[in-house]
Amino acid sequence: MSKHKIPEYNTSWSEEEQGRWGMVIDQDLCTGCQACVVACAMENNISFVGEEDVVYGRAMHWIRVERFWEGEYPEVKATDFQPVMCQQCGSAPCEPVCPVFASVHSQSEELNLQVYNRCVGTRYCANNCPYQVRVFNWRDWERPEPLNNQLNPTVTVRQRGVMEKCTFCVQRIHEAEDSAQSEGRELVDGEVQPACVQACPADAIVFGRIDDPESEVSKLTKGGRGVQLLEDLGTQPRVTYLKGG
Amino acid sequence: MTDKISRRDFLKMAGVGAATTAVLTGCGPAARYVEREPYTTMPEYTYSGRSTYYATACRECAAGCGLVARTMQGRALKVEGNRNNPVNLGKTCPRGQATLHGLYNPDRVHGPVSQKKRGSRDFKSLEWEAAIDMIVDTLKKTDPGEIAFLMGLAPDHLFDLVSDLAAAIGAPAPLRFGALAMFEARGTLSQAAKNLFGELALPFFDIANTEVTLSFGANFLETWLSPVSYTRGYSKMRKGNTNGGRGYLVQFEARMSQTAAAADEWIPARPGTEGLVAQALGKLVAEQRGDIIPHAFDVDVAKAAETSGVAEETLRNLAGLVAVAGRTVAIPGGAALGQSNGLETAEAILTLNIYLGNTGQPGGVYLSPVAPLSEKDHNPASVFGIAALVERMESGKIKTLFVHGINPVFEFPKSLGFEQALTGVPQVISFATFPDETAVLADYLLPDHHGLESWGYQRVVTGTGNAAISGAQPVVVPYYDTRSTVDILLAAAEKMGGKVASVLSFADEVEFIQSKLADLVEESDGFFSAPEVNTFLASFQQFGGWWKTTDSLGVPENDDALTRTLKIPAAEFEGKGEFHFLPFVSPILGEAGANKPWLQEVPDPTTTVTWNTWVEINPVTARELDIKDDDIVRIVTESGSIEAAVYLYPAIRPDTVAVPFGQGHTAYGRYAQGRGANPADVLGLNFNAAGDLSYAAMKVRVEKTGKKHTLARLESRMGVYGLDEEY
Repeated sequence: MSKHKIPEYNTSWSEEEQGRWGMVIDQDLCTGCQACVVACAMENNISFVGEEDVVYGRAMHWIRVERFWEGEYPEVKATDFQPVMCQQCGSAPCEPVCPVFASVHSQSEELNLQVYNRCVGTRYCANNCPYQVRVFNWRDWERPEPLNNQLNPTVTVRQRGVMEKCTFCVQRIHEAEDSAQSEGRELVDGEVQPACVQACPADAIVFGRIDDPESEVSKLTKGGRGVQLLEDLGTQPRVTYLKGG
Repeated sequence: MTDKISRRDFLKMAGVGAATTAVLTGCGPAARYVEREPYTTMPEYTYSGRSTYYATACRECAAGCGLVARTMQGRALKVEGNRNNPVNLGKTCPRGQATLHGLYNPDRVHGPVSQKKRGSRDFKSLEWEAAIDMIVDTLKKTDPGEIAFLMGLAPDHLFDLVSDLAAAIGAPAPLRFGALAMFEARGTLSQAAKNLFGELALPFFDIANTEVTLSFGANFLETWLSPVSYTRGYSKMRKGNTNGGRGYLVQFEARMSQTAAAADEWIPARPGTEGLVAQALGKLVAEQRGDIIPHAFDVDVAKAAETSGVAEETLRNLAGLVAVAGRTVAIPGGAALGQSNGLETAEAILTLNIYLGNTGQPGGVYLSPVAPLSEKDHNPASVFGIAALVERMESGKIKTLFVHGINPVFEFPKSLGFEQALTGVPQVISFATFPDETAVLADYLLPDHHGLESWGYQRVVTGTGNAAISGAQPVVVPYYDTRSTVDILLAAAEKMGGKVASVLSFADEVEFIQSKLADLVEESDGFFSAPEVNTFLASFQQFGGWWKTTDSLGVPENDDALTRTLKIPAAEFEGKGEFHFLPFVSPILGEAGANKPWLQEVPDPTTTVTWNTWVEINPVTARELDIKDDDIVRIVTESGSIEAAVYLYPAIRPDTVAVPFGQGHTAYGRYAQGRGANPADVLGLNFNAAGDLSYAAMKVRVEKTGKKHTLARLESRMGVYGLDEEY
């Protein structure tokens, strides 16, 4: 963790540069182990849905690890594992379609927020999301006692009829910002770790401020191997993928 | 106190003082636990709205990773890796992350119970005192030679206690075993290390610092030995931290595992020919380097290529890569060793390392450091050893069987006959936390705490260069009326009196642990040091264990491996079927994850299937047999048959079918029971030269059943085979 001052918000920045929090996923390091998937579920009170509903495509994963098959035996290859979560677009297709402003852009963190108590479940946002990362609560999923003891009190528990998605673990961002503020100091790079980043045994996921040119995430984003998913849609994703070797 | 003491020193001392007090205040076991308190009387170290963190050890497998549990008001909310623990350095695997779904699982055993008729599940509650009296009675009345202790893989404090107890009463030493040891053929790897390097222990492969890694069936990114530590090594190898270049990984195995999917090259060698491939590679590298060809690699390359099904050109290209690479390591593991010639295969692969000159070198093979407090042999039993136990059970030579940390009815091959042999044992006592298959066939079920509710330590067998012992402490007060098995046995020992009571005269589990750890206080270059045992124990709790700061890897030595003749016998296969059978441990569920709902919901890394068992068949083979996705097929061997739905897996040899191990429970809670099939049910009983099961040396028949079951997969069928296509 390097200690340096993070620049103040600058009005002269163009929209792409404004993004504050960003993520880099190195696909050369990702082993597809799914530790991030479980870590995310445990941190964010995500429900499990059971076999039948998974078949119907109702699984609630906020992050999934994609792989595709290429070629035929024996020249077959599994493409590099690709963890996909909400890309926290700078210009997010999910936002303008929400009739009740439940899917909104936060000015302070430059994140796409989902306001659960506004959501009325039209599912327009999920239909309009090119990354298919929004998941809908089709039921009040069962969580038998005493499993509820594990619920994280800093994350809202969602109920039936509500859309949800990755938040970049906004509760952890706020907690780190609050403790930095109470200690009268700046946040340092690497201090905020979403659950997936913290768990990743291969260190494949890096999180930090992309408006800070000195942060690791900025350096990796500009390192030359970076690509963004469906770049040509102009969604300005805050997640950058480093292609495998 | 002089004024020369810095503020930092002062705080250190104050911290130690406070922690020591906390440890010493307890007198009984209950007082040593974290209490659940109302807001008004919160302990002073907790703040409302803020979390309290405890370092402990992960018990989901035997690797011994360190955890830090986040708790709030007496509830455990999340576990993360312990940054200090040298095994995992702050990281976790999916099974470790899901450990809370074991702690708060709705199907745990709530308290001590007994049942009149085994398997009836008509459990009657029992008082703990009555349970302890029953154990005392048993230990007193049974001939010590007719008592058996069967335990899990982890070499932990309970194993030490049971070893001491067994020695005191004159019973045979406890046996440790687990399905992971069987499916990774750990015993074969240890035996090969003994034959070549003189040490019966698991070697350590430093993939972090190597340029080329040749893995022969070792699924080190999934469940193999110490997956978090090896994943860290993999990550470093990819980043090329130490040698500049990006490391290259080649995986030899019949089916593309998750590890092979992350590799640069996957080479589907014919099962049982991995050792031959290693020899051929050794010969080609020697040729290309202009070395004298070692006697051990005296094979015909063209013939080896033909036998293994790996093209000679592929072998030559690979040899070219290895010949110029500065550092290459070859790892024997998994299905390559679970063959009739597994031991010779492991020796051939280790010999390749010896020829490449990497033994005891960075990026090479080392002997794992001897874990602290390891004066005894800490190797688990071989399957052969377990078979001997089963034979004694069958012939009525075991009167009482104690089972802890293992679920033999589920984990052992059915052909071993453990379940039938249980009927020959008059008394079976299980300490399982969950009503698993073995527990429901026991007379008494005396549930131990969950790992996050209990004290302990666990030796780190392999995975780090630092000799380490991970420490566990309760992070929450026990949720149910469970009791630590160590406490039960100590209480029983006290009641027995005589020699046993004097050997095991400890007030409780913590005192026992303390007595064992006392030996470490004198040790040098530890992560922390302490003047006496109480302070030591406080730091042990705070940091979640004790480890050396210096590297204590052993250098393997061998003089004659290259010059001796190494003849690998041709692999022999059991059964008349046309397909090789490859059971593998589910990378997500491991051996005991099926009862955790979120692990069931997590897609398998390569197939994305959740909540069930599948059979992997090559699409070309399937087309010939007219089998489609989701068709239920029957896998038939001489030992039995199982049924599961088909996943058309493009990355498997056409002559091989593969089935994951982890599902197929008939008990073990609502999330596990009645789901999928258990490939251990069809395994035969053939042993390799190391006494391990040749579990991958089966030929099976595949029969259609005409039934269908839609597998719950995350991936869309579109883009895989196309919705419009027949397959």
